[in-house]
Amino acid sequence: MAQQQDWNALSDEEFRAIFAEWVDANCPAELRFMRKQRPLFDEVSVWYHRLAEKGWLSPVWPQEYGGMGLDAGKHIVYVEEWARLGCPRIPDHGIGLTGPLLIQYGTQAQKDFFLPKILSGEHVWCQGYSEPNAGSDLASLRTSAVADGDGFIVNGQKIWTTLAHCANWILLLVRTSNDGKKRQNGITVMLVDMTTPGVTVRPIPNLRLEADFCEVFFDNVYVPSENVVGEVDQGWALAKAVLGHERIFLGAPSRPAYALRRLERLARDRGAFSDAGFVSRYARLRLDLFDLGSAFERFARVLRAGGTLGPDVSVLKIFSSELYQRITEETLSVAGEEARYWDDLPTGEGDVDAMNLYLDSRAPAIFGGSNEIQREVLAKGVLGLPR
Amino acid sequence: MNGLILDDPDGTLEMLRDSVVGFSARHAGPDVFRARRDNGGDLDREVWSAMAEAGWLGLLLPEDKGGAGLGIAEQAVLSEALGRALLTEPLAQLSIFSSVLLSHCSGGECARLAEGLIAGTALVSPAWQGRDGAAAPVSARKVGEEFSLSGEMRHVSAPTSATDFIVLAEADGKQMLVSLPVSAEGLRIETAPTLDGTRLGRLSLADVKVKEDALLAIGSEVDVAMDAAVTTTRLALAAEMAGIATAAIERTVAYAKERVQFGKAIGSFQVVQHRLVDMWGEAEFASAAVVNAVETLSEGQNNASRLAILAAKARAGEAAVNITRRAIHLHGAMGFTDACDIGLFMKRAVALNATLGQPEELRLQFVALEGVAA
Repeated sequence: MAQQQDWNALSDEEFRAIFAEWVDANCPAELRFMRKQRPLFDEVSVWYHRLAEKGWLSPVWPQEYGGMGLDAGKHIVYVEEWARLGCPRIPDHGIGLTGPLLIQYGTQAQKDFFLPKILSGEHVWCQGYSEPNAGSDLASLRTSAVADGDGFIVNGQKIWTTLAHCANWILLLVRTSNDGKKRQNGITVMLVDMTTPGVTVRPIPNLRLEADFCEVFFDNVYVPSENVVGEVDQGWALAKAVLGHERIFLGAPSRPAYALRRLERLARDRGAFSDAGFVSRYARLRLDLFDLGSAFERFARVLRAGGTLGPDVSVLKIFSSELYQRITEETLSVAGEEARYWDDLPTGEGDVDAMNLYLDSRAPAIFGGSNEIQREVLAKGVLGLPR
Repeated sequence: MNGLILDDPDGTLEMLRDSVVGFSARHAGPDVFRARRDNGGDLDREVWSAMAEAGWLGLLLPEDKGGAGLGIAEQAVLSEALGRALLTEPLAQLSIFSSVLLSHCSGGECARLAEGLIAGTALVSPAWQGRDGAAAPVSARKVGEEFSLSGEMRHVSAPTSATDFIVLAEADGKQMLVSLPVSAEGLRIETAPTLDGTRLGRLSLADVKVKEDALLAIGSEVDVAMDAAVTTTRLALAAEMAGIATAAIERTVAYAKERVQFGKAIGSFQVVQHRLVDMWGEAEFASAAVVNAVETLSEGQNNASRLAILAAKARAGEAAVNITRRAIHLHGAMGFTDACDIGLFMKRAVALNATLGQPEELRLQFVALEGVAA
């Protein structure tokens, strides 16, 4: 593993230059600007391992655990350059979810065992939170874990588990008791080996006919006690605590920015800019993206100054995901008669994945807390409106 | 609500905000608005003098012209605070626009106007627009030691209260800025009431004679001055509208917590909550856009600052108009009365949004400047 340095001591611009230069030289060209939002591990493993060798796979983990130890400000630069250069999303639940959870709440044995295997790519993680009847209302989850000797027996079902079919470990939220007055009590976080007998994964084709997410079934699955993170029955707070400054990325301008560039490409090729009606609609979208950048900067600045994000950051997620949708809707409008083809549309400047983006843009308004849930958070947490 | 979050190392911005809060306790914006409107006035002299005393006039004038030499951040914060307090005197035109023009002028007459502007003794109103808002210089003819001006100007602020006009004129294809006293012979002024309880004027100049020393600037300097004045005033208007947007959502949230129907505060109903959240989000975006424009302009006037200001004025204008309009609705029948202040916020928002370019026009300018279509 490469030597790390104190990246936070550099200016943002110095770090940006160093990071971008290496990424541009090392991220394979065929993986840039992939059509797929969530490629499988095998499809991007070359890139994963290159990052791991360089020591740049895990931007936020402290350096003592093999991360880069970036503060939030540098992390924003990392994510921005990643998006700008069109690097593919890698299966990152180990890096973004399990790792930080263990670093904060795990036992020494858990850290020693799991963290290196995330960095090496030996363990590929997925996130077992949502259930058929526990989506937005996650606390109503019912997958059960019953104590049995040295461990637990898990029964139940998870759903919308992203990339479960290329993962070998799952971070699982289970119900260990129903006694508490609040449903949030009695939930436990477990680390579960998906090769354990009784685990079944069934991919679910999505609107784009890709299988990003899956159902995962647990039929009398044995989980040893040492794989519980934190205290039994106290897992809800852990699950909530893990998402810190990363919430800003749910509202990053990168998705709508990419979609707008594709819209511009198609519009130039199809002559839409000579249509005053289009130009007017385009101008609104362009300015919305511009102002999203200003709003994002407002929150990024809080992080750079060492502050923490409040619930108000949800405004970015709502705006960004809805803008993404409006851009892709306009793209189909420009496509005209061609807006019924499945394949990418050819233009003089390269293909435009109009349909792919249109379908993909349905998702961000739903995941990571649907936009209606985000509005609830803002109504209560920011405006202080009553129940 | 956060409003404009700007770097404030020495606390100047906080002081400015506080001074507006104190000021509005003595001169309540909504009361002044209604009184001025009901009297058919275009400006409240008492409030204007108090603003001069507070040091708010000519904030942007450089120190060598007697000004405070403060920057755009200070002006933006002042304008935002005025918007929040609904203090609706025509500061954008008579202080900001005129100050920027005078910053680019020189000579004795310029110094006299600058001095009077700061003191509040001279009310210096820019006169340069045609009906569609574009620059429409009157024609100037050199006659001996004098200029003769003829033509018509629209949308002139404080037309009755003004002591002097800065008139945009043109002679032999060369633009000039000319100082014109209100008492000039051949100057006819008609006024019309506006939505925000003031009056705008239509100036008709028929062979109006001004002395040569009334010439404030000529040639390319005029283009530079006009461009800077429009740009800076747009940003100040954006800040003022961001303030209006913020105040309107604050008031409406407070009202929704208070107003009980069906035995519950209406703010507990989800449909109302989500509308309020969307309104709040628009106000936040308006403030963020203004901050971005202030910071970009602070780094220098260039293409980037032009884009940022166009975006800020469009965003803040649309936010202020949308939020206040929906705020009226959420106030129910009360919102439709003249007694309820929220309607005044809406009227002011619509008027400022219509000043120096509406959002659609600004957005089209933005994309033309970016040149993505090519």
